[in-house]
Amino acid sequence: MIGPSIAILVLAVVLTLLQVSGLAFWQGLFVNLGIFLILVLSLNLSSGFTGVFSLGHIGFMALGAYTAAILTLPLREKHDYLPNLPAWLASVHFDFHLGSFPIGFLAATLIAGVLVALIAWLVGLVLMRLSGHFVAVATLGFLVIVRVILFNADDFTRGSRTFSNVTPYTDLWWVWAWALIVLYAVWRIKRSPFGRAMLAQREDRWAAQSIGIDVMRPRLLAFVISAFFTAIAGSLYAHFITSFSPTVFYFDLTFRVITMMVIGGMGSVSGSVIGTVLVIAIGEGLRRIEDATLLYGLSQIILAVIFLFIIIFRRDGLLGQREIPLDRLFLRGGDASARPPAQVSDVNRS
Amino acid sequence: MKSKLFALLVVTALIFAACSPGGGGTAAGPIKIGGGFALTGDESALDLPAANGAKLAAKEINAAGGVLGRQIELVVHDSQYKMDVTAQIAKQFVEQDKVVGVVGFTDTDSVLAAGPAIQGAGLPFITAGATSPKIPTQVGNMMFLACFGDNVQAAAGAEYAFKNFGKNAYLLWDKGVEYTTLLGGYFKSRFTELGGTLALEDSYDDKATDFSAQIAKVKALAQQPDFYYIAAMPYNVGPVVKQFRDAGLTGPIVGGDGYDTPDILSVAGAAAENVWFSTHALIDAQGGTAGIKKFIAAYNKEYGHDPENAFAALGYDSVYLFVDALKRAGSTDAAAIKKALEETKSFPGITGAITFSADAHVPQKGVTLIKIAGGKFTLGAEIVPEKVPAP
Repeated sequence: MIGPSIAILVLAVVLTLLQVSGLAFWQGLFVNLGIFLILVLSLNLSSGFTGVFSLGHIGFMALGAYTAAILTLPLREKHDYLPNLPAWLASVHFDFHLGSFPIGFLAATLIAGVLVALIAWLVGLVLMRLSGHFVAVATLGFLVIVRVILFNADDFTRGSRTFSNVTPYTDLWWVWAWALIVLYAVWRIKRSPFGRAMLAQREDRWAAQSIGIDVMRPRLLAFVISAFFTAIAGSLYAHFITSFSPTVFYFDLTFRVITMMVIGGMGSVSGSVIGTVLVIAIGEGLRRIEDATLLYGLSQIILAVIFLFIIIFRRDGLLGQREIPLDRLFLRGGDASARPPAQVSDVNRS
Repeated sequence: MKSKLFALLVVTALIFAACSPGGGGTAAGPIKIGGGFALTGDESALDLPAANGAKLAAKEINAAGGVLGRQIELVVHDSQYKMDVTAQIAKQFVEQDKVVGVVGFTDTDSVLAAGPAIQGAGLPFITAGATSPKIPTQVGNMMFLACFGDNVQAAAGAEYAFKNFGKNAYLLWDKGVEYTTLLGGYFKSRFTELGGTLALEDSYDDKATDFSAQIAKVKALAQQPDFYYIAAMPYNVGPVVKQFRDAGLTGPIVGGDGYDTPDILSVAGAAAENVWFSTHALIDAQGGTAGIKKFIAAYNKEYGHDPENAFAALGYDSVYLFVDALKRAGSTDAAAIKKALEETKSFPGITGAITFSADAHVPQKGVTLIKIAGGKFTLGAEIVPEKVPAP
């Protein structure tokens, strides 16, 4: 466990430096990075591990964002911007603190996560029976349904008008604490019997079933947990951007997250991290080049081309299903002698 | 495996190194003004002309000797119409570019995403074309609009149509966007207040391409309405107008400044005849005002074509408006610029005279009503609405 400890230590130092520096731009970049990391990891849990390709995850994010934001909106803003809320919801305001700690935000985020997980369970009961193209189209249908509901539930969401004046609770610590939790959870799930069942039925459903591996249960479990974490990312996003409309949670965001996942590798946890960091870093770097060369749109074209090349020449993404063993990375430079201890710790863990 | 990982890390590190800011502005250098625009993405039909107009204004101001004895520099960043990127470039303006204020954007979502960082830094922020009159209360006291609010243009459209077309209207709006929802709502409020009736209210999903369901409902009406008020986004106006005409509905179609795009002429073609819409100015080398004619000539010289729509003029006006305040403030101090902006009286913008006060950061401007006739935009009327619905 030395590798992960070092990684967390490095992250903590980076975050502290960012916090102390007071540079809102770089803080914002790392907040975005963390939010996208959660999105990619949770999508990978559902789509990458089980092979049930979901195009509807951003719908969970939207539901999480709206639910948490409605809960945390202070009473005055609620009165101004959501005058038609039903009475039981209009009087609820999760803007309370424990000392200076916004525990109301944590509660609202968790409630949003649980609510969305319940919805995912209901949806998953039906959709997880499908495979291949069918499930992709069906989840896309879910995304469209969520969008239509958000547009039409005027009293709760302001419809197409921008939902604004959300309290900006989200900061580096919130995002990265959640990101680490998600990272750890997804990592453990991959190595658990459930995770192995997910991967097994992804590779060959019939073979898996023939040796007694249930297909439905691991799929549904992955879908529900993944929706929970996606909703958390939605809540973090809502309390970071502080204003959003249903238009934000649609194809554009869906494809950005899928790009990160595919580039990193479907089924790889460390691939998710690398994919997210790479896409965000390349996007930001190219954006600077755009400003210098006045070739606006360049970043999006280049990212799309990279995506195409990966699809053609490295279909499994950079890492495929493999993982980067942190212990070896930090300790012995990855030579063969480091392998036995890593395997031992594997056995201990599972 | 490991070498690949290190290659990745090195690439990442290089990119981050490339991202570090390249030298901030010194006190003697140019005065930096942020220009935030969605140059790519769904809003680019409006933001691209607005950005071009703003850049042209900056160039003219510099050619005339700048302001406060210094040149100005319009620092433009593309928000890609992504809200996380929009929020980031707002921070970039504040921290890395060290601008004295920001102009730009033509839609409410982008303004609200960029607003908090700019307001938080206490810098003035003028939006070129986001027409929601609620923006200043949502963002804060540093927020100004260079354009009129949607309540003003909807009232102008309602009053003109009520007088000239009749008392029975059909209302259709894009329910996927704040702008069209507000516009439709303000139209309804003013039109019914005048004593008009709505034969039918209907809506469609944003970016819809097929309006046959809505058209069938109109055709099923016992009596056809006197005119059709359709609040649509720029990318929808062409198809919606064309399909209405193809279905044999020939009455006047009235809309807002979302119609102000050359696409309506190219997509709808002859079907666009008898379309009326409210916008900021008529960009026409013959029919426009003297200021507009001069602007068109300068724009043509700079970019090789006429301004695409009135948003070019709004971008142009917002830079001049900001620089005018800078001049009167006599310094680059944000509070002084804000005070000067609030004291703006009848600033002669090419999209109309602009007046602000401490309570009104949305200017009361005249509305230009454009009539499409003979395959081009012609001046229908200049209107100052008698009464405007509350924001």
